[in-house]
Amino acid sequence: MKKLINGIKNLVIGLLTTGKHLGRHAITIQYPTQKWEMPERSRGIVVLLSDKETGELNCTTCLLCEKACPSSAIKIVYEKDEKGKRHLKDFIVDHGLCCFCGLCEEACNFSAIKLATKYEFSTYTKDDLLWHTNKLQEVGRDVPYEKVERKKPEAKPAAPQPTTATPSKPIAEKQSAKTGEAISPAEPEKNPELGEGAKPQEDK
Amino acid sequence: MTASKALRTEEFLVNMGPHHPSTHGVCRFLLTMDGEVVIKAVPYIGYLHRALEKICENRTYPQCLPVLDRFEYCTSMSCEYAFCLAVEKLAGIQAPERAEYLRIIMVELNRIASHLIWFGTTALDLGAITPFLYGFREREDILDLFEMTCGQRLTYNYIRIGGVSRDIPSQFIPKAKEFIDKFPSKIDDYVKLLNENPIWVVRNRNVGILPPELALSYGVSGPVLRGSGVKFDLRKDDPYSIYDRFEFDIPTGKYGDCYDRYLVRMAEMLQSTRIVKQALEQLPEGDIKAKVSPQFKPPKGEVYSRIENSRGEMGIYIQSPGDSKKPLRVKMRGGSYNHLQVMPEIVKGGKIADLVAVMASMDIIMPEVDR
Ligand code: SF4
Ligand code: SF4
Repeated sequence: MKKLINGIKNLVIGLLTTGKHLGRHAITIQYPTQKWEMPERSRGIVVLLSDKETGELNCTTCLLCEKACPSSAIKIVYEKDEKGKRHLKDFIVDHGLCCFCGLCEEACNFSAIKLATKYEFSTYTKDDLLWHTNKLQEVGRDVPYEKVERKKPEAKPAAPQPTTATPSKPIAEKQSAKTGEAISPAEPEKNPELGEGAKPQEDK
Repeated sequence: MTASKALRTEEFLVNMGPHHPSTHGVCRFLLTMDGEVVIKAVPYIGYLHRALEKICENRTYPQCLPVLDRFEYCTSMSCEYAFCLAVEKLAGIQAPERAEYLRIIMVELNRIASHLIWFGTTALDLGAITPFLYGFREREDILDLFEMTCGQRLTYNYIRIGGVSRDIPSQFIPKAKEFIDKFPSKIDDYVKLLNENPIWVVRNRNVGILPPELALSYGVSGPVLRGSGVKFDLRKDDPYSIYDRFEFDIPTGKYGDCYDRYLVRMAEMLQSTRIVKQALEQLPEGDIKAKVSPQFKPPKGEVYSRIENSRGEMGIYIQSPGDSKKPLRVKMRGGSYNHLQVMPEIVKGGKIADLVAVMASMDIIMPEVDR
């Protein structure tokens, strides 16, 4: 009997607690018709950013993002001219591999790649998740961003570890990209003709 | 004599899982049953094995962080934090003051979010649906805070070696304060719903009793250990980072049953709100990240660093060869593994329905067990 009374009492308490929410509006939204406004930092699909005035890609083919990507989702196809300067041929992001970590955005010193606040990119086939330069650029056209010119000395690792040849390479290239002079990055292991698809990282 | 001949009884085997709604992941129990009573339970694991440790060994240190997010996705922040603390210990990097505070705010908020998932799903396993909805509603507020800071709701990739990736946006502090202020009243709601609910009490009181000696011998940690009455919390007993600057209590249970574990977790959420509140008040200005090169190579050596995760001791062991950007060996230790191992001992002799209650109260998350 005592148990029964106790049970009824608790039932009433429970109903009162839940009853407080009866008159309130729902916190869910009707997705395809109503859409959530994504916060500005939200990390969605990877896009390439273009210069606001010229409409050209900001990318300087420095390959830093490709090196930073933990899931090898970025593949940059480039060609080297006779001076050793790289020219972008194709920038491929495999959204099927990408884990939306944002490390590529952090690695880029030229505000050229960004994780936009867009999230609707489902497709019927896996192949459609492979985005090439054109699509990455088109989707990225209306993405707002601030161009940050990072100063060169900051890019240099100031950590106590001995710097090796690897981090100094991109810096040399950055200088070449900024000043317009063609400093040969001198990469003996890579042949300019074999530039297409040649992965800069040793093993992944 | 004749009756026993007519009614032959024997034990039988039941496979519970791999896809059972109450296993919270993919885990199989091979149960030897006598009617409804469990005589023996053997957990079979490995369904979610993704070789995370091996993946880490093939990534540079900064690239490991997104992998760590997937180690235990309910408290990704803590996992990143544990890894970063280990690397910082190894390389002697000191994160700036503001970063330390930001990390603790995030980790503690994440602990609340994780306990809220536990609260919701446990109640769901035991037949109450309302707490699930309430728990997830509050968790949503925390995830909003995370999303505005780092851009993701589950795999944050926010904490970095030597700091955090970005500073908090300007709306963060008011929103976090608002959450911290209203959250204790929400806990009151939860407690009202469940604490004396007859079904909840009957399903949890005196079910799955874990004596402290057994808990210690199996290496159980976290809220499960504290539910058994052992006052052990790494935040107090082996303080890392700046936890010694905050005032908070360590709630413990008395009997070590499912109900005590429930009470401990509810109390822990309140303690976490206290920590976040103090951290928000003391938050200094300044840098958020020490300079660490993406190609950075820690010196040769090995390190084990541990933190108090929402599921117990989360430890990271790293062996660095000294001349490589990649670790030679990474070992991740999560609390759930030990909790799963101790389960056969405590479900023995109970009903099969109690197994569900025990599994839920242990807060086992399978990706952490299988890695
Ligand atoms: S890091 Fe930036 S500039 Fe360099 S290749 Fe990637 S997108 Fe282009
Ligand atoms: S978001 Fe991460 S996984 Fe995706 S392309 Fe960038 S670095 Fe690679």
